Amino acid sequence: MKAIQNTQPAHGVIKTHNGLLISALLASLLGLSSMQGFAFDLKGVLKEAAQKELGQSPEAPATDAAQAQPATTSGENTTAAKASEPEFNWKNPSKEEEIALGREIAGNLLGAAPLVKDAALQKYVNSVGRWVASQSERPDLPWRFGVIESEDLNAFAAPGGYIMLTKGLYRKLNNEAQLAGVLGHEIGHVVKKHQLKVLQKQQLLNIGAGFLSDKYAKDNKLASKAIGTGAEISARSLDKSAEYEADRLGLSYATRAGYEPYGLTEVLQAIGQTSKDDGSVALLFKTHPHPDERLVALGDAIGNKLDNVKNGKTLENRFYQLKN
Amino acid sequence: MKTKFKSILIAACMLPAFYGSAALAAETGTALKNDTIRKEPYADAKSAGSFTRGENLEILKKQGAWLQVKTKKSTGWVRLLSVKRGTATTSSQSAGILAAASGRAGTGQVVSTTGVRGLSEQELKAAKFNETEIKTMESYTLSADDGRSFANAGKLKLIAFANLKAAKGDSK
Repeated sequence: MKAIQNTQPAHGVIKTHNGLLISALLASLLGLSSMQGFAFDLKGVLKEAAQKELGQSPEAPATDAAQAQPATTSGENTTAAKASEPEFNWKNPSKEEEIALGREIAGNLLGAAPLVKDAALQKYVNSVGRWVASQSERPDLPWRFGVIESEDLNAFAAPGGYIMLTKGLYRKLNNEAQLAGVLGHEIGHVVKKHQLKVLQKQQLLNIGAGFLSDKYAKDNKLASKAIGTGAEISARSLDKSAEYEADRLGLSYATRAGYEPYGLTEVLQAIGQTSKDDGSVALLFKTHPHPDERLVALGDAIGNKLDNVKNGKTLENRFYQLKN
Repeated sequence: MKTKFKSILIAACMLPAFYGSAALAAETGTALKNDTIRKEPYADAKSAGSFTRGENLEILKKQGAWLQVKTKKSTGWVRLLSVKRGTATTSSQSAGILAAASGRAGTGQVVSTTGVRGLSEQELKAAKFNETEIKTMESYTLSADDGRSFANAGKLKLIAFANLKAAKGDSK
């Protein structure tokens, strides 16, 4: 009898491990496929974006590029330096580089789903987002927000402060506090540089594994290799711990901003009631822990900490209603 | 009579404000974790019983961060986040069919036939950088001052609150 009792939990543990293993394998498969498929040439756009953000002209002298070179250069990277292109400092990207990278990712995502053509909506979301972001640890970033044309339920953050949520998710919201919570979660990802860290890690691995042939180094496709094709990076999962952390930060920022603290949890409740077979949550559920798990983790982190937080506002009266 | 009418009127006016509570009338839920049910909506109130993760319950009322719930054995208050609201939806076949019809199911060649672009992995991979759209998005960028004015207009007041930390012993 005792033996049976002991095997039950052990079985559960093994199951979980298998699940983790499969996710890890999937993740690495995705990584591989993105490295092999160079369908999308990112070179020009990223270069331009970086130059614009860095305030450099395309005719920047080669010496400047050489100076920007990281200390440890492989043979391939030296070739890149000769191509008079500003090298992306993967080891320690500047704020400008982070923004340029985020712009690239956000621009690709907008290629898949453009902005909802409703200036009043976009302005409203930027107002809420900007105020919440001002309560974060990085109020100095040029935060920008957008609602994109998609009936999926999802939201995305790209490095440097580019944040998007789908029209489908916006539709699920009932008030401004809920919007603040959702944007707060994405702001948390940017503040903690979750996505940037994944890209850096992959990029440094690529360099280490010698994936950079002369041709690619010459084309300065470093960033494109890290981002993958199109907006594929936006479909990748972060660590579960990163999602839980973003939940805690998002709730904290929205609370500090004066909103009703439970906005984010109400949205998680609503998403949790969507069937996992519903196509609109396929990507969200694949890339995030289940909303139930997120609610439990948030509840544990909150404990009694909100017991004395009163008078947070929901502001449903000024919540912007979608036109269609 | 007049008083009665008045109270009905007041109740009607207050409906929007209490929309959340009103909708709870016959709401069901599931316990997200093992927790103590309290006699009153306070952390130090006396225990009225407990529930275990996965247990079905009825939600009677919401008050602040607390829900009044009824289980088979007991009635009392639990923290909002100990309960998943609504009954778990069973796998919906129609959703799957709809997804297939719009070309969004499966992992093969996804060609959107409905004109609605999506955010499946395939579609994201095929996405091309859109300079016009990113410029439009950037044109909406607001300053910290803009944000402050917007907050003032909504009478939002800053609250001192430290960033939440992961619960102790929580591997998550």
